[in-house]
Amino acid sequence: MTVPDSTGSLSRVLTATAKTTSDSLCSEVEREVVRLFDDHRTRLLRYVLSIGLPIHDAEEVVQEVFLALFRHLQLGRPRDNLRGWLFRVAQNLALKARQASQSRPDHAQLDEVVAASPVDPAPSPEQQFAFSQRQQYLLAAFRVLPLRDQYCLHLRAEGLRYREIADVLEMSLGAVSISLTRSIARLERADRG
Amino acid sequence: MPYEDSHLSDEDLLLAADGELPLPRMKVVNEHLAACWDCRTRRARFEATIADLVETRHAILDPQLPPVAGRRALLKARLSELAAASGAGRWSRMFRGLAVRRVLAFGFAAAVVAFAAVAVIDRWRFQDSSAIVAQGPLEPSRSLTPGATRQVNLRDVCGGAPDEGTARVVPASVRRQVFQEYGMNGAPPNDYEVDFLITPELGGSNDIHNLWPEPYYSTVWNAHVKDELEDRLHEMVCNGQLGLGAAQHDISADWILAYKKYFHTDRPL
Repeated sequence: MTVPDSTGSLSRVLTATAKTTSDSLCSEVEREVVRLFDDHRTRLLRYVLSIGLPIHDAEEVVQEVFLALFRHLQLGRPRDNLRGWLFRVAQNLALKARQASQSRPDHAQLDEVVAASPVDPAPSPEQQFAFSQRQQYLLAAFRVLPLRDQYCLHLRAEGLRYREIADVLEMSLGAVSISLTRSIARLERADRG
Repeated sequence: MPYEDSHLSDEDLLLAADGELPLPRMKVVNEHLAACWDCRTRRARFEATIADLVETRHAILDPQLPPVAGRRALLKARLSELAAASGAGRWSRMFRGLAVRRVLAFGFAAAVVAFAAVAVIDRWRFQDSSAIVAQGPLEPSRSLTPGATRQVNLRDVCGGAPDEGTARVVPASVRRQVFQEYGMNGAPPNDYEVDFLITPELGGSNDIHNLWPEPYYSTVWNAHVKDELEDRLHEMVCNGQLGLGAAQHDISADWILAYKKYFHTDRPL
């Protein structure tokens, strides 16, 4: 009969405890990631789409973002401004994916998507015409904005605060403010026709 | 009057509208706006433009957004894989520091425990599946519910076919007939969904050969899990990742196997 190795037993107990703790931490992080996915998926997806990726690629990018978030949280990295972090990673992955596919020019986004979109059958022809006219003016003005200004607008439209936009686009707070003011002023002139 | 000759800048107007001004400056801006119709009119124009932009983005982008359920389930599957992989990595690093003898001893002990666990799980599964048979079928009977489709093409499936709503309606008489065929006349109807084997969103019909009583609860592989698979397959078909015929075949041949295949998992997420 072998005499029990007390050091080995202790080691096994500690190992088992460590594994249990690690597993429970993992599942806690998993749950947190899924909760953040529920909160932010739609806004992220819309932002990635507005950068010009087709829907399938955009969905893949969003999945990758949350897998990266899992690794980020698992490694105990900073949790402050997680929303900004999500959008920054989404943007980097989206730009990389778009560059890889080489499928769209830099000023893709809204106007190209609108051309391919089905027309909403609900409004009357007059309403539809009026909406399209305003839409066309806006889109024409939007298209000639510098790319960074377009991203600022998209991010603001998705509810990000100026500080978060500054983090995502690596700009100063003042630059975000100037960009948004300039863009809205231009769009406002276009919107008036 | 302090504001007769000077107006607010565009930047101040936008920062104020966005709630981004420091409080002292906000107070000044609000006082000016209260007194100045010109600046209020400019602010209103800005707000109208922002509203138009938001509306336009939603009108263009929102119709493209697919349902979230399939992707949510896929993310959960991928996270589980990632967690398992990272856990394995950590353990292999830990074991690198131990003596070989101890690793072998640990391996042997682990094998014994795993063997015992498999035996227990097998027993549990056997008991579980007996219980399921008593409550209702996990999977439909091949002879009673082989699956049936209606004439559809990709456009119908992905563009929202007009008869999709009609196809979803299962008359009460047919529901009763389904329970009867499966010998489950006494089963509480609220515990089951008379489910489509091939979902109407993938071209399934409401023919009785496409229907069976699927338990909502009581089993791991329940109606909610199958709904996730249906969303996933629909999304894959509409993204061009999977043929419509293949999706119909896989879900009707063995939907649990299909779930495992398309979610890369052995258990529901």
